[in-house]
Amino acid sequence: MVRYGMVIDLSRCIGCRSCAVVCKMVNAQPPGTWWQRVETVGSEEHMVPVGEYPNLSEVFLPVPCMHCENAPCVKVCPVGATWTREDGLVLVDFERCIGCRYCITACPYGVRQFNWQDPDENVREGFERAGFDSNWYADGEYRYGYPVDHRTEDGRLVYTSKRPRGVVEKCTFCVQFVDQGISPACVRGCPGNARIFGDLDDPNSEISKVLKDRSAFRLLEDLGTEPKVFYIPPARKEGRGGVRYGEKI
Amino acid sequence: MGRRYDLTMAVFGLLGLVGIAAFIYQLQKGLIVTNMRNPFSWGLYISMWAFYVGTAAGGLVVSSAINIFGIKQLKPIAPVASLSAFIFAVSAMLMALPDIGRPDRLLNLFQYPNLESLIFWDFIVLSVYAILSAVYTYVQLQPRIAERGISLPLIGTVMKRDVTAAQLEELRKTSERRAKMLAPIALPFAILIHTVTAWVLATQFSRPWWYGGLLAPTFIAAALTAGPAVVILASLAIYGFKEDLKPTYRLLAKVSAFSAAVLLFMYYNDFLVRQWWGNGREYDALMLVLKDNLHIHVIEVSFLLAGIVILAKKYDTFSGLVAGSLLLNIGILAHRYILFPPAYNLIPFRVPVVMAKESFEWEYPIALGEVRGTLLNPEPIFVSYWNYIPSPVEVAITVGFFGLITFVFLALMKMLPVREQNEQ
Repeated sequence: MVRYGMVIDLSRCIGCRSCAVVCKMVNAQPPGTWWQRVETVGSEEHMVPVGEYPNLSEVFLPVPCMHCENAPCVKVCPVGATWTREDGLVLVDFERCIGCRYCITACPYGVRQFNWQDPDENVREGFERAGFDSNWYADGEYRYGYPVDHRTEDGRLVYTSKRPRGVVEKCTFCVQFVDQGISPACVRGCPGNARIFGDLDDPNSEISKVLKDRSAFRLLEDLGTEPKVFYIPPARKEGRGGVRYGEKI
Repeated sequence: MGRRYDLTMAVFGLLGLVGIAAFIYQLQKGLIVTNMRNPFSWGLYISMWAFYVGTAAGGLVVSSAINIFGIKQLKPIAPVASLSAFIFAVSAMLMALPDIGRPDRLLNLFQYPNLESLIFWDFIVLSVYAILSAVYTYVQLQPRIAERGISLPLIGTVMKRDVTAAQLEELRKTSERRAKMLAPIALPFAILIHTVTAWVLATQFSRPWWYGGLLAPTFIAAALTAGPAVVILASLAIYGFKEDLKPTYRLLAKVSAFSAAVLLFMYYNDFLVRQWWGNGREYDALMLVLKDNLHIHVIEVSFLLAGIVILAKKYDTFSGLVAGSLLLNIGILAHRYILFPPAYNLIPFRVPVVMAKESFEWEYPIALGEVRGTLLNPEPIFVSYWNYIPSPVEVAITVGFFGLITFVFLALMKMLPVREQNEQ
């Protein structure tokens, strides 16, 4: 049985937020909505180290949906609009969600986002606030993002670039690509190759091999959500941005 | 009644219309017109939902007390009590409606129910409770309806039958018997609506302000405070402050005041446990109450205390009953409101930052879901604190729905023969 998971190597993350941007574009997220976040741990501003010189710390922590095994969002959904697929992906059915937002309350990672208004309205406001005179979207059918609606095998709408109003959405591990045997956009878009995506149950998959001999950790382990996103702790940085593995400190 | 009644109905009806208009506006624009955002996803509507679930309690508890525990002095007001239970159970569900992003898909609750979700169960117990209360009210009023009928506006009196004295006596006996049968069925649901509503919140391990076993008992205590207080107000409005009802009011006032005291005990017991450790998520949630939301906390506690004192001492005066019941209800309302800010503003995803000189828990910010700022004056999209204040639309819908509920309640009270024959 396939069970998809992700490893994020924090030593390799340079905090560039490419994953967040490519995710946003490819998955047609309306302005104001972000499935993927990258922040500098402990800092109020991204890319600003915490602590006092010379004792500084700068760790970037990318956070997609954890696709938990014991997912609270799946348990709380009164209509089963959020469910865990056989391959471990936690998905949202855009056509079934009633927009009660109980899942947003339940998710401890804060990855769930609600469409508070018609997403086209968000786009229009986005253009307006960025200083453009006209709404480039006003006339056409064009929307940015992967153009084809995606349904699971049992016909549930899990991706559409024309997002309905009043429903909850979140990271899908790019289900539209995974179903075609392609990795999620953040994995392919990461310039530091910090992410690995694959089958956790297959001992020969790259992700299993990477996890085998490392002390990976998961976020909020004490809540018992059993995330399928694993992190490899950052190694100590030496010199100018260099990361050296295997050297004695 | 006459003029004053018409004026009251006009005011509440108007409020109701404003509420409906605001709701239509919200349906057009989306929930963006509320002040809720992704980091703070439930607000005033859900507080009101929890509040109305509480006020629905009084009714059936009162009615059940008569038939199960044989407390006869509550009997004269039983129809008003059970009708208030029905109205508020429906109101609770009605109040959840504007909070739903897709009300057009509500039927999914029947089509694809998730048995693990407590919202689904809450919907079930609330519906059953509402139906039971309606049936209970009808059963109690059956002899009077046969005798006097229901007076509908424009149409006139309906359901009136020509009954002989013997038949009427028979009907009364049947009604009594049926009420006795219904009470033990209804009582568990009267308790379940509060516990299941509490469990919706109390099961959330990621929200330390709610999580735990204490929330359901405090919901029951809050319900036994607000419920009888509402029944006092409704009975005063319908039956007036009469000599032979004094024991009834005294009992209701005592139940309400005592429950409020129990509620405060459980509440502060929880405060002490959270405070003692002096650190951690539970402590931080408490600090959000005592620092950021101190004004609401002061309102809830001072109103509850004042209500307890007044109801415990002045239960034999009209003004004392009104003031005490109102104070307790406002206190409970504030108590319901404060369920949310300390729960949401404690971002569950906190990352420990450990350094030689200092260590702290850092809250991972959440995207708001709204476009903010401009190119030259950017405002943060990612926040770890959202200062939620209900928007004008939220307030309009909430107040308007309250007006609508009161309007319907008063109208039903006028139509149904809730008074004794000789009082007409």
